[in-house]
Amino acid sequence: MQKQTIYSILIFLTVVFFSSCEDIIDIDLNSSDPKVVIVADLNNEEKSHAIFVSKSVNFDDPKPNEPVLDAEVYIRLGNGKTFYFTSVGEGRYINPDLPISVGESYTLTVVVDGEEYQSTTTMLAYIEVDSIGVNQETIFNEDFFFVNFKFFDPSGQENYYRYSMSINGSPMKFNAIFSDKFNDGNEVTHQLGREDGNDIKPGDSLLIRRQIVTKEVYNYWAEYSQTNPGSAAPGNPTSNISNGALGYFSVSSVRDYPVGIDKASQG
Amino acid sequence: MFNTSYGQEKVTLSGYIKDSNSGENLIAAVMRIPALNLSTYSNNYGFYSVSVPPGTYEVQISFVGYANKVDSIQVNADLRKDFEITSKSSVIEEIVVTGKKEDDHVTSAQMGNMKFTMEELKNIPVVFGEKDILKTIQLLPGVSTGGEGSSNFYVRGGGGDQNLILLDEATVYNASHLLGFFSTFNSDAIKDASLYKGGIPAQYGGRISSVMDISMLDGNNKKFSGEGGLGLIASRLKLEGPLVKDRSSFMISGRRTYADLFLKLSPDETTKSSKLYFYDLNAKMNYKLNDRNTLYLSGYFGKDDLGYGDLFGFDWGNATATVRWNSVINSQLFSNTSLIYSDFNYNVDVNSDETKFTIASKIRNWNLKQDFSYYSNNNNTLRFGVNVLHQQIKPASIAAKEDSDINSITVDNRQGIEASAYVSHEWKPTDKLSLIYGLRLSDFMVMGPGSFFEFDADGEPTSESYFENVVAKHYFNLEPRLSLSYAFNPENSVKASFNRISQNLHQLTNTTSSLPTDQYVVSSLNIKPQIADQAAIGYFRTFQDNMYEFSVETYYKYMHNQIDFRNGADLQANKYMEGDLLYGVGRSYGAEFLMRKNKGRLSGWLSYTLAKSERQFDQINEGNWFNARQDRTHDISLVGIYQLSKKWTLGATFVYYTGNAITFPSGKYQVDGKTLFYYTERNGYRMPDYHRLDLSITYEPKKENKKFHSSWAFGVYNAYNRKNAYIIDFRENEQNPNITEAYRIALFGAIPSVTWNFKF
Repeated sequence: MQKQTIYSILIFLTVVFFSSCEDIIDIDLNSSDPKVVIVADLNNEEKSHAIFVSKSVNFDDPKPNEPVLDAEVYIRLGNGKTFYFTSVGEGRYINPDLPISVGESYTLTVVVDGEEYQSTTTMLAYIEVDSIGVNQETIFNEDFFFVNFKFFDPSGQENYYRYSMSINGSPMKFNAIFSDKFNDGNEVTHQLGREDGNDIKPGDSLLIRRQIVTKEVYNYWAEYSQTNPGSAAPGNPTSNISNGALGYFSVSSVRDYPVGIDKASQG
Repeated sequence: MFNTSYGQEKVTLSGYIKDSNSGENLIAAVMRIPALNLSTYSNNYGFYSVSVPPGTYEVQISFVGYANKVDSIQVNADLRKDFEITSKSSVIEEIVVTGKKEDDHVTSAQMGNMKFTMEELKNIPVVFGEKDILKTIQLLPGVSTGGEGSSNFYVRGGGGDQNLILLDEATVYNASHLLGFFSTFNSDAIKDASLYKGGIPAQYGGRISSVMDISMLDGNNKKFSGEGGLGLIASRLKLEGPLVKDRSSFMISGRRTYADLFLKLSPDETTKSSKLYFYDLNAKMNYKLNDRNTLYLSGYFGKDDLGYGDLFGFDWGNATATVRWNSVINSQLFSNTSLIYSDFNYNVDVNSDETKFTIASKIRNWNLKQDFSYYSNNNNTLRFGVNVLHQQIKPASIAAKEDSDINSITVDNRQGIEASAYVSHEWKPTDKLSLIYGLRLSDFMVMGPGSFFEFDADGEPTSESYFENVVAKHYFNLEPRLSLSYAFNPENSVKASFNRISQNLHQLTNTTSSLPTDQYVVSSLNIKPQIADQAAIGYFRTFQDNMYEFSVETYYKYMHNQIDFRNGADLQANKYMEGDLLYGVGRSYGAEFLMRKNKGRLSGWLSYTLAKSERQFDQINEGNWFNARQDRTHDISLVGIYQLSKKWTLGATFVYYTGNAITFPSGKYQVDGKTLFYYTERNGYRMPDYHRLDLSITYEPKKENKKFHSSWAFGVYNAYNRKNAYIIDFRENEQNPNITEAYRIALFGAIPSVTWNFKF
């Protein structure tokens, strides 16, 4: 958090005081061997559980990824019961029957081109929200809206929170990740907003998804968030899936919160 | 009589070499007695000593930017004699040249060393018109810049934390202001600067890549005088003068930026009440107890302050203090005793809604040092000494304020004691061969109190041990040093050097621009001392009676126990932080060419470096060697200064270098509707090549009166407005998120500057 703040101050300084400028350039990037990407973010809100299997593509490809259609995907519970996921196209694999319950252990197996990728995770209990509010702040002469989640962090244990946001019905996008490293056991406020391209405007209706995730999932998104152009050596976020796959596996307790941004709140 | 004989009839001529206007002791001024074919130079405190048979001699004194002086001296018995020479800038009839002491380039045994006096910096253009020693050395071969407009530098492929930066012997931890755009060295207050990039003499230790030894002015002991300047970014004022005539003098120099005044123009209230400035204060005082003993007291204090209303405050700064006692024990034995304090701290203050806290961190050392120089005869000088340095680090701790939703976190202090002893022999066995060889022994003691952890291969803690206020571990290092020169004749020589150096203070940087918040660690049970072995060989030559000099040096450096991080390392307020560190090795090698013109209306230099710097960590880049970030294949600097007339001087610098090694993505993929980048190789790409031209014009009107003198300096940084990439990043195209594009941010366009300087 601290690094991020300081970094944005550096950018602010350079923009304000120096004649800095920005333009689009051509960079000749190498091609890379396609890498398997598995994104399995399962939770109690979705009716049908979906897992995405794809491959990375070259940077200059006009498509975002290469879906894998013929993977073998299944999840085994702690009691050995196995649930197979069926391919429904575009790299999507679904199963409507997988039971989602707190404390359950889930082992994901994905087989692509004979290679096996595996990951095990446990579902954690939800941590209730006390209140939700919207506030507006003027920063460097620009108005920004923030959504605040107030709650009590359970003390004596590490807790990790992940937020995604959909603005006016757009697809859910990752917004923020938090740990309780600095505020364990306190009444905590998580402030959302200002994530790239997620700028909130008056009149918007938001749907915010709040997840209680494991440390591994927190690390994945924290590493993603920390990668900025000032990083000395950006890397791939550390995945909790074996065999070098990209992506992550999470089974989390989730709640969705609709939040409206009042037009009148514009001051 | 012309032979060097060791007969008993010899007597010693010793004393100080000084500036005639200010009484400042001059460092490395050359003294020559042609009749005896003898030459020596003053030490770091201005003291010299030679042995001669009794007789009357013509003595020549010369120094950079000073008029040569010839004196006839009768020496019948041991004689104490101080020489005073006059700066050329105060002799208005003469055209000022930049240069350095003649011949030394070829004949001195020291290798990989560059010296600067502040006079030389005057006409070299720099950004914002603030002359800056740390930016000027970046124009030398083997020294590369830390980035656009940055005062950070890398020497021979080493890291930014591997440079020992000394100000009157005190370590300066963070030598930059405003995130690197200015150095902490206010050139008004500086007498002399010397950079060692190889063959580092045994009296220095603690950083493995270079030594930048900067001396502050002692203060004019002849008359009261002042000097200052008004610039676009900062203003400066220096006052100096005698306190007790010929016995004691002082110097005080300050500088402050006023960029924050522009903030007051903002319509936004919070911006109006924001802060953005830095200041420096240098002060020095000396007191001559008697002919043999002098006391010096010097200090530096600097601070940067950034603030956004009451919401956010961030300040940082260095403080140093040096007490020094120079004693001429006898005409052959010179002693220096120093007690030195140095610290660097930063504070962050956050007051937003429910999150209110402060962060404080401090690093400091106490250093007690005793050095001797023994001038046994003209061909043998022995330097030896001891020092004890206590290093303490208070890592960032978080203090929550009342009603804050965060908790206070305190992290254990870390401390260590480094005890060292050295001996160094400067020896001229024949007229052609001279060498400096020595040995430094250091014992770094990792000290309690504190908990020390052991970690498994994944960085998870496996055991904890607690040490009271005792030594938890010793790290002994034996560091041989050698530098030798063989001069075929006064115009041609070859030189070779070797040094081993250890380092027990390490800076953890994971951003491309160094930040004040970068964490320091001392060697611990897990972190071993960094050790570098460097060998270099070079050829040196002068042409046309020292009008031109040329050198080529090649080096190979191997660095042990280098530090990097795991992906997603958590370095803040984390007691298991050491588990996130990775250890590897580094190597760098290269060739450095320097062609320099010292005399005439046109002076300057052309430097070219061809180099490679790599690192290897088992856990990074699949264990393969990768380019260090500061690896630059080609690095060219061209510096020209042209004396148009007695009043006008033109200066120009041109730099060109290969872009830094950098990690770019080689692929992309999607996660939760976001495009993520797939990275394959560490630092496998290059930033675009960098080049830039800077120009300056200095106007010095004729001295209209003796009391007051002023001059103007105009400059343009980046004269042809080259858009050099500061940052390159990647993002989804706004119209079509399936397409990913690269964009660059260029920091500086052409920046004009004007400074008005005055002297009285």
